[in-house]
Amino acid sequence: MVTSCDKFLDITPTGKVIAHTGEEFRALLTYEYKYIPEDRGLASFRSDEFQFDRSSTSSEDYASFFDIWAWNDTAQQSTTTQFGWRRYYHAIYISNYIIEHQNEITDATKNEISQLVGESYMMRAYMHFLLVNLYADAYTACNPQNTRGIPLQLKADVKTVPSCSSIDSVYQSILSDIDSAIQNMNVSSWDLGLNYRFSIRSAKAIRARVLLYMGNWKDALAQSAEVLEEYGTLVDLTQKNAVIPCRYDSPENILALEQVMTNLYKGAGQPSKELVKSYRDGDGRKSNYYKQITSSSTTLLKGGSNEFCCSIRTAELYLIAAESALETGDTARSVSYLCSLLQMRYSEKAWKGDKNKEGYESEIRRMSVQELRNTIYEERRKELAFEGLRWFDLRRCGRPELTKTYQNESFTLYNKDSRYTIGFPPEVIQANPGLTKWNQ
Amino acid sequence: MRQIITITTVFLFCCLSANSQTRNINGTVSDDGDVLVGAIVTAGNLNVITDIDGHYSMEITDTISSFSVSYMGYKTRTVRIKDNLETYNVQLESDNRQLGEVVVTGYQKIDRRKLTASVSTLEINEDNTGSVINIDQALNGQVAGLSSVTTSGAPGAPAKIRIRGTASINGTQDPLWVLDGMPLEGTDIPAIDDLKDIDDIYQTSIAGISPSDIETVTVLKDAAATAIYGARAANGVIVITTKKGVEGKNRVRFSTKLTYNPKMSISRLNLLNSNEKTALELDLLASDYNFRSKKGAVSQIISSYGETESYKSGGWEALSDNAKADINELRGTDTDWNDILFRSVFNQEYDISLSGGNQNAHYYTSFGYTNEQGNVKGVGNRRLNLSVKGDYQFGDIFKIGVSVFASERNQDSYATDYNGFTNPVYYSRLANPYFEPFGEDGTYNYDTNVQGKEDSELDFNIFEERENSHNRRNDRQLMAIADAELKLGQQFRITSQFGMQYDSYSQTRYTGENTYATRKEKLFATYAYPDGKRTFLPEGGIDKTTSENGKQWTWKTMAEYENTFKGIHQLELMLGNELRHTENSSVYSVAYGYDDRTMTSQPVIFPSETSAQSYPLHKESHTENAFVSWFANGSYTLLYRYTLGGSIRFDGADMFGVAKEHRYAPLYSVSGLWRIDKERFIQPAKWINGFSLRASYGLQGNIDKNTSPYLIGTFDKVTILPGNVETVISTENAPNPSLCWEKTSNVNIGTNLSVFDNAVNIDVNWYYRKGAELIALQMLPLETGFSSTSINWANMENRGWEIALGTRNISRKKFTWTTNLNIGINHNKVLQETVAENSTYPSRQGYPVGAIFAYRTAGLDESGYPLFLTSDGQEVSATELLQLNNAGASTLTAAEQRDLYSYMGTTDPVVSGGFINNFKLGQWQLNMIWTFNLGMKVRVQPSYSPTSYDRGMNVNRDILKRWTPDNTDAAYPTLMVSSDRPKEYIQYSEYNLYSMLDMWVKDCNYARLTSLRLSYSLPDTLLRKLRMTDASLSVEARNLCALSSSYENFLDPETMGNPYAQPIPQSFIFGINIGF
Repeated sequence: MVTSCDKFLDITPTGKVIAHTGEEFRALLTYEYKYIPEDRGLASFRSDEFQFDRSSTSSEDYASFFDIWAWNDTAQQSTTTQFGWRRYYHAIYISNYIIEHQNEITDATKNEISQLVGESYMMRAYMHFLLVNLYADAYTACNPQNTRGIPLQLKADVKTVPSCSSIDSVYQSILSDIDSAIQNMNVSSWDLGLNYRFSIRSAKAIRARVLLYMGNWKDALAQSAEVLEEYGTLVDLTQKNAVIPCRYDSPENILALEQVMTNLYKGAGQPSKELVKSYRDGDGRKSNYYKQITSSSTTLLKGGSNEFCCSIRTAELYLIAAESALETGDTARSVSYLCSLLQMRYSEKAWKGDKNKEGYESEIRRMSVQELRNTIYEERRKELAFEGLRWFDLRRCGRPELTKTYQNESFTLYNKDSRYTIGFPPEVIQANPGLTKWNQ
Repeated sequence: MRQIITITTVFLFCCLSANSQTRNINGTVSDDGDVLVGAIVTAGNLNVITDIDGHYSMEITDTISSFSVSYMGYKTRTVRIKDNLETYNVQLESDNRQLGEVVVTGYQKIDRRKLTASVSTLEINEDNTGSVINIDQALNGQVAGLSSVTTSGAPGAPAKIRIRGTASINGTQDPLWVLDGMPLEGTDIPAIDDLKDIDDIYQTSIAGISPSDIETVTVLKDAAATAIYGARAANGVIVITTKKGVEGKNRVRFSTKLTYNPKMSISRLNLLNSNEKTALELDLLASDYNFRSKKGAVSQIISSYGETESYKSGGWEALSDNAKADINELRGTDTDWNDILFRSVFNQEYDISLSGGNQNAHYYTSFGYTNEQGNVKGVGNRRLNLSVKGDYQFGDIFKIGVSVFASERNQDSYATDYNGFTNPVYYSRLANPYFEPFGEDGTYNYDTNVQGKEDSELDFNIFEERENSHNRRNDRQLMAIADAELKLGQQFRITSQFGMQYDSYSQTRYTGENTYATRKEKLFATYAYPDGKRTFLPEGGIDKTTSENGKQWTWKTMAEYENTFKGIHQLELMLGNELRHTENSSVYSVAYGYDDRTMTSQPVIFPSETSAQSYPLHKESHTENAFVSWFANGSYTLLYRYTLGGSIRFDGADMFGVAKEHRYAPLYSVSGLWRIDKERFIQPAKWINGFSLRASYGLQGNIDKNTSPYLIGTFDKVTILPGNVETVISTENAPNPSLCWEKTSNVNIGTNLSVFDNAVNIDVNWYYRKGAELIALQMLPLETGFSSTSINWANMENRGWEIALGTRNISRKKFTWTTNLNIGINHNKVLQETVAENSTYPSRQGYPVGAIFAYRTAGLDESGYPLFLTSDGQEVSATELLQLNNAGASTLTAAEQRDLYSYMGTTDPVVSGGFINNFKLGQWQLNMIWTFNLGMKVRVQPSYSPTSYDRGMNVNRDILKRWTPDNTDAAYPTLMVSSDRPKEYIQYSEYNLYSMLDMWVKDCNYARLTSLRLSYSLPDTLLRKLRMTDASLSVEARNLCALSSSYENFLDPETMGNPYAQPIPQSFIFGINIGF
């Protein structure tokens, strides 16, 4: 009787599941890959990449993004889009959950489980990395040991009320997670279609970016050089029908995870005139990245769909290597990395020059250290425009004064302005008021 | 031969006559309390009937050795005649299988004289409850301890019912409804929190039952009564018993109700008129207040002349004559939004029933139609219902009954956009009085002000919206119940009941092409194509259909044993089993480019997979649950005086992700009854007609099915990179391994006293309910990855008194006056509450669960900002109170912030009830039902926000009493400017500080004249001529008036907390009842 009752009661609800198998654990992580916030794209509004004006900014976009664009943090419209918070930590929770349950996963090979665990470490590292760069000061713009960072979550735990760690502790944890990720993973790179997943190669590439942001030039150089040695493919953008390098299927793409410029963000404003103008003649990137519609309006070609998923690609590694080589004093190596990239960007004529005009290459080879540094920053801006890196670069490279104008009203972000760091969203503080407190 | 027999008979008779003597026997016939008038005493071939005192006296021959006493509804008793005894007082025992006072609990029929539980029974007829369309409205004020609050005045809107306060926080708080023994599904009312929910048309499964088919409603209140229902009965049980046919000739009943609901007036809202609104906008434009400075007609006129700057510096005089003329035109236009959005309505209801039967079968058939239109134009509800009921007796041992209830309901309402913006009640409060909805040529004028946005170009006109959209819901319900009873001898019987319930509805929300809702949806679906931005939704309207099917069956079987030993020991035992299975499925589909005339739609060509995912065209869901229960109860009664009862139940349910050992939870109760009036020491007090005392204790439990110790996910399919569809598991519910059952223990002590020939009847109950380990939703720090989880959060108690006092004040032949006073006093207290470390709102520990906390204020400071009163009596600004940092956030810890609040009161009524008067004068009858709720507080929405009052919208006159440099003695704060005090500005605009001030907590005490009804019954002489059995006419006024603490700026005290609910309508009803 009791058994038959139990049978009557054994109903598995449609669609509900507790993860047991390797496939199910993979599905948990896939969900997190899918819903990583596109905040690097949103942060692009805060940088100097976009121009808002009445002709191209619709009222809906105005309501959602204007106050972000104008650095208006104090009296925002209620319709303003919020930067993410909980989603990052949800991805971190699932990562922790997989790491903690790795010995209970069934129906999967040892290698599959180990790869999954490695990706989870990497997910945790990358989420902490995005959070610390959005919500805390840049590592190189403060004393990271005693400046407030963000809460570190290293356990799947809903009971403890977290508090902030210092920026340095966050970065140390990120580096250690990347190490664990590389140790656990066994896929060096994923096939097209699955290349949104972390691999050994993309983990190393991201480590190079993390080290760069820390100003750890020596290790950044070593790490970027290591990746480039293994895989340094670049696309010649001066060729007709070149694939835009931030496409998911571009050979340059190392990690096709974030869309960055979603369709929602992409059309909210126009690429800033100053940015578009800064591309030299013969720069293949200009026509690949932008489309001139009328004399006064330009649209962006990067982004707008999942075909443009890109979190890191080889070109960025060349620039990381160039910048770190320069800062370690190895100017020749720096120039060599920079030139390897740029010769695939500029037409033969512009790069090598002709009898009438000196080529860009020889111009670079003559530059002083300071000129070279500026050129590298400038090329980063042009190469990686609208890929969600500009705001972070502005933060780590001097936090310069920026000015924007909308219908004769101008807005200024001052040099070293505190608004270079976004405040915690009010609902975050409401849910955890202790977060504002920071006593080391 | 025949002769011989005759002679013999005569002889014998003569002999007997000659040899016997007569003697007298006499005495009184009673049941165990009252004398029985008209009982038949039979001795030999003689019959006498007891007189008005229950007395009999008869002469019998002394050869007769016994006599019998019979009375309808009682067991016939035979008494032996003793030689030298003359007086025989006979006590009859009720045969409750036939008739008599029984209480229907849904599982059993219990003899009221053995009832150990706290139960109230209400007969449903218009004399008692007035005219109601749904049964939940009828209970208002009728039962002590039951509070019924109308959620909205919309037709078909359900009433929120609470029995003995709030028992659970997270779980359902609605009682369990039972129809003729079958527990119903789909009776829970969803919480109505925001504007959007108000627009959802919603009905519970109760709404399908016509009150005219209901005989009685029994409310089970304490554990002794409800434990048999298990976990679902934690909030009390309401048992509906429907009418059935009675033996006798076929009867036809017809009734109709014609109702007039006059249009309500919104003058109570104190909205600004055109003149005031224009003046306000002019003032604001001249001030520094710049929130949405381009909104409002005044700002738009002045800016269209390019005179904004000159107005700001030079004021009114600096304006050109044209601008002045345009603004003065605004002042002269007063659109009466009340008049054009609302209406008076006339509603109808018709019911007809046929019933009858003989000893072997009874039948009851009824048909009803109701058409109820709302005061808001375009809102209405129609119901058709049919019930067929029959029961059949086969010999003495077997009986079956079958009933079928079917109904169809059609509701009409307005369709809204997804912010709930086009709700007419909402719009009538926000629309500018100077705005004219139609141009001179009858075309629509579009209102771009009332859209809650800085900058919006979408065209919006409420009339166009209403013309081109609809929101229709069709509900169909079928319930079938079959009962069988098998008697095995006098002591033993088996009963079984199988009940089925089907509920299905389909709801269509259509918004045509020319509506704001469609425009808005299209705008949100804008895509940046290479050649420019445009929407990817096709031209035409949008049609969204949801249909849902709910199905349940319940099969219960019970074995019952009943016996009396040695005439004084009575034992009743029952053992039963119940299986229940519920299934719910829903389908949602959307058609874009829809044309409601051709019923055609167009395909959507999605520009990307991401956009396709955000506009799902089809969704389905399916849930299934099963339950198994075992239960038993029993009672032992000694001498009809002392009864001891008990019941126990094991509830098992399928619970995914819950350990099997937690599947069954035991629930039990023990109870006792002492009928003091049967004691010898009370017997001499003849004025006491009844006096009893009862007590019970029980334990009930409940588990949250949505929270699991494991991480539970749901499957989905997604595309991350083009062309690669993958399975994902979404996990948005935090696991909680430490969650356990919530347990509620229940104590009830009650007494019932009737005195002076039952002229005064008083029923008093004291109860104590303690809920331990209650489950509630707790907000989590978002760094956990989740926003909330269920935890065992609190211990809570409800203690209170219920007093039901019924009196027959005057009882003359022509005139009677009776009153019923029902009072429920409930004190709720949270005994222990785990406040989340991160909560900034105080713990309710030591306070009621509905506690409202607020910041104490002390008027305004010299710049018109609120001043706060600290606990040590200082008056400080928000910056000082909350120690604001530059980002406007408080630097105090959560615990320190909690301490800043003061307790204001509770949202639940402390005293609630009803006061019912009934006067009868000849054929006339007057009924008056007052219902009241006292001791409540309500937090109302601030009349305007000091940082984000949108000048494009209308507002009530409070804003005219705001602080300005010219009006420093003001009641309300100034409109703030972000540059003045940036920290406070952010705090007021980003956090909910302003709505937490004590000035927004209001008293809410009210008594409402729910029903005032006058009826006239036709006299018998006339009825006979008309060949009717009865006929009556009535007029009734419902919700005629309310006595209340101040509800200035609101339409009803009930809807103060929710200003956008449709107000409670007044109605005037003319009714006819005829029986043949």
